[in-house]
Amino acid sequence: MNVIKPPGTFASAQTEPTSDVALESMRWKKETLDPAAAGIKDRKKFVTDTGLPVEPLYTPAHLEQINFDYLRDLGFPGEYPFTRGDRPGMNRTDPFVISAYSGFGDAEACNRRFRKLVEIGTEQILVALDLPTQCGYDSDHEMATAEVGNVGVAIDTLADMEILFDGIPADSIKRIGTLGNSIGPIVLALYAALGEKQGIAWSRYTVNLQNDPLKEYIARGTQILPPAPAAKLATDAVAWCVEHAPNWSPMTVCVNHINAGGAGSSMGTAIALSNARHYINLLLAQGYTIDQVAPLLHMFPDERHDFFVSVANLRALRRIWARMMKEQYGATKPEAMACRTTVYGHGQEALAEPLNNIPRTAFGTLAYVLGGASYVYLAGYDEAVSTPNENSARVALRTLQILANEHGFTDAIDPLGGSYYVETLTAQGERQILDGMAQIEQIGGALAAISTGFARRVMTEGAVRRQRAIDSGDRPWVTVNKWPEKPDVPNTAFRGDAQAETRQMARLARVKSTRDQKRVKTALAEVERATAEDRNVVPSVLEAVRAYVTVGEIVDIWRRQFGAFVPSTDF
Amino acid sequence: MSPPTNGQPQRRKIRVLIAKVGLDGHDVGARVVARGLLDAGMEVIYTGLRRTNEDVVRAAIEEDVDWVGVSILSGAHRVLLPRLRKLLDESGANDIRILAGGIIPQEDIPELQACGVDKIFLSGTPIAEIVDYLVKETKHV
Repeated sequence: MNVIKPPGTFASAQTEPTSDVALESMRWKKETLDPAAAGIKDRKKFVTDTGLPVEPLYTPAHLEQINFDYLRDLGFPGEYPFTRGDRPGMNRTDPFVISAYSGFGDAEACNRRFRKLVEIGTEQILVALDLPTQCGYDSDHEMATAEVGNVGVAIDTLADMEILFDGIPADSIKRIGTLGNSIGPIVLALYAALGEKQGIAWSRYTVNLQNDPLKEYIARGTQILPPAPAAKLATDAVAWCVEHAPNWSPMTVCVNHINAGGAGSSMGTAIALSNARHYINLLLAQGYTIDQVAPLLHMFPDERHDFFVSVANLRALRRIWARMMKEQYGATKPEAMACRTTVYGHGQEALAEPLNNIPRTAFGTLAYVLGGASYVYLAGYDEAVSTPNENSARVALRTLQILANEHGFTDAIDPLGGSYYVETLTAQGERQILDGMAQIEQIGGALAAISTGFARRVMTEGAVRRQRAIDSGDRPWVTVNKWPEKPDVPNTAFRGDAQAETRQMARLARVKSTRDQKRVKTALAEVERATAEDRNVVPSVLEAVRAYVTVGEIVDIWRRQFGAFVPSTDF
Repeated sequence: MSPPTNGQPQRRKIRVLIAKVGLDGHDVGARVVARGLLDAGMEVIYTGLRRTNEDVVRAAIEEDVDWVGVSILSGAHRVLLPRLRKLLDESGANDIRILAGGIIPQEDIPELQACGVDKIFLSGTPIAEIVDYLVKETKHV
């Protein structure tokens, strides 16, 4: 498949500027700026984290250079190419959803935090799962040693979900969900079964999953199986939703971890979009249409170094998505062309003096809000150190509420649209993303980007480049390379309840001994059959989950059938 | 040992095994440190993700390293690091020393050092500081 090029963009980039503004800009630089700046050493390197040089001033001459055409490149919110927004009224009529990612300990302890979050205004909760759950090990597995309830809540069976959402009906907030990247069909089934237990129809609540296994091999590291079967299982969750819960969002394709790990937001977006194409192609090959599939997919963009690049990246992403869906995949429904975005506000958080991370994450998140994100999370100021404590979780939520309600940030739609600087960055970022996608296409697509080591190289080189920019001072960072302070992990960092692991083990043992063993056996056999016959696994997994089969028992079947992933030792 | 050059015995390079133990999948820090130590002229091996302590001890002995640098961000350090020290000692590798890097609360540091973890570098430590420490502390250098 060909990568689509935005028509006209950059067509005249190489020609000599001749307009009055362009000539006047050159004159200003020569006669006014240069003499004033003479002998003053640049106080930093003026270059974005994505490698674009930043000029001192942007004028209409830059719009000429990118061959800017308002109607073609921007249009209007809620209309093709959706550059200015995926929804018609954006935050005026359809405010971004105030979201929290939270989880720790066992379901009981975590349920108390969730109730508190809902009470203070959280509209969406994504459950942070502990690493054993994310990696498909039950709490009593040897690999789970010292990890149960550590970076998230332990979920072994549906019994844990029932406790986790006790007193929080699935339809009482806008969306519930989790990441579950390597166990997508299982977490989908757990949320479907939760609705059944609570007596709430699937059509009455919305489940959001990350369910994007491919980026785990590149950046996040919870992969279980080889990439190809992992991607297939993830698309089973999407296909099941097309049939049974088209109002759910069962897949959020992530730039986030790929950028954070070193790729930069442009190459990170290129890799994520290539991953999205892989999932989409699998679904189309099963006979689903793009109009059925695309509205269920979200993107999770990320840029945490440069404010204006962040705004531009969101706008460019929406434009590329719309064009890809319409021109390449032949989508006809606007919902299939409008890219809905989930974002997680970060700044460049530091370990020293963690309270400074409050303004950092607020600025980072403001960029996403101005860029028109649909679902917005914000990192706790202590999140670089530990699971946010109750106080930092509250500050994060209140910061989101302030961004949504104060200062007029959300009054006008796409308020930075038309800025000479932001439009230039949007066009430049779009070009970088499309080039990156073409590069990945050339080596054979998303799976090849993983198997050839391409993505890993991009990541390591980017991480090393960032480290050098920090060590050299090219990228200023307060308390790190400017006014440096010793990094500190304070003793007040959140500590999980030491009894959570014991409680979890006891509950798991109880559930295992009291469940209907015959039903368990039948259900596991059906998961095994569905997997072997390459059918959609979700119906069989749902029946297993209802029978209180554990996450580990289901994943063990997949490990046996597909084999385990082999960790790379390259660096 | 390599043959002597210019009449001088060539010094053995510092050998470091960078390791990820447990389920924590964040290895950017580990890879950046590995690359930094390599650039500083050391010999570096990386275990890749999700290793058991047993895997790490085996690799450390096979590769005859001076140091094992363990990266942990998931909070499992209090259990995993003392176990690693114990396993190394039990395998007769008391001379292999342990560095830890990542997110480790201050109050845990004395406890870890008492259990035989040599030094802890928190996230954000400049690579040069780690290099200096290794050059200063490695016995044969």
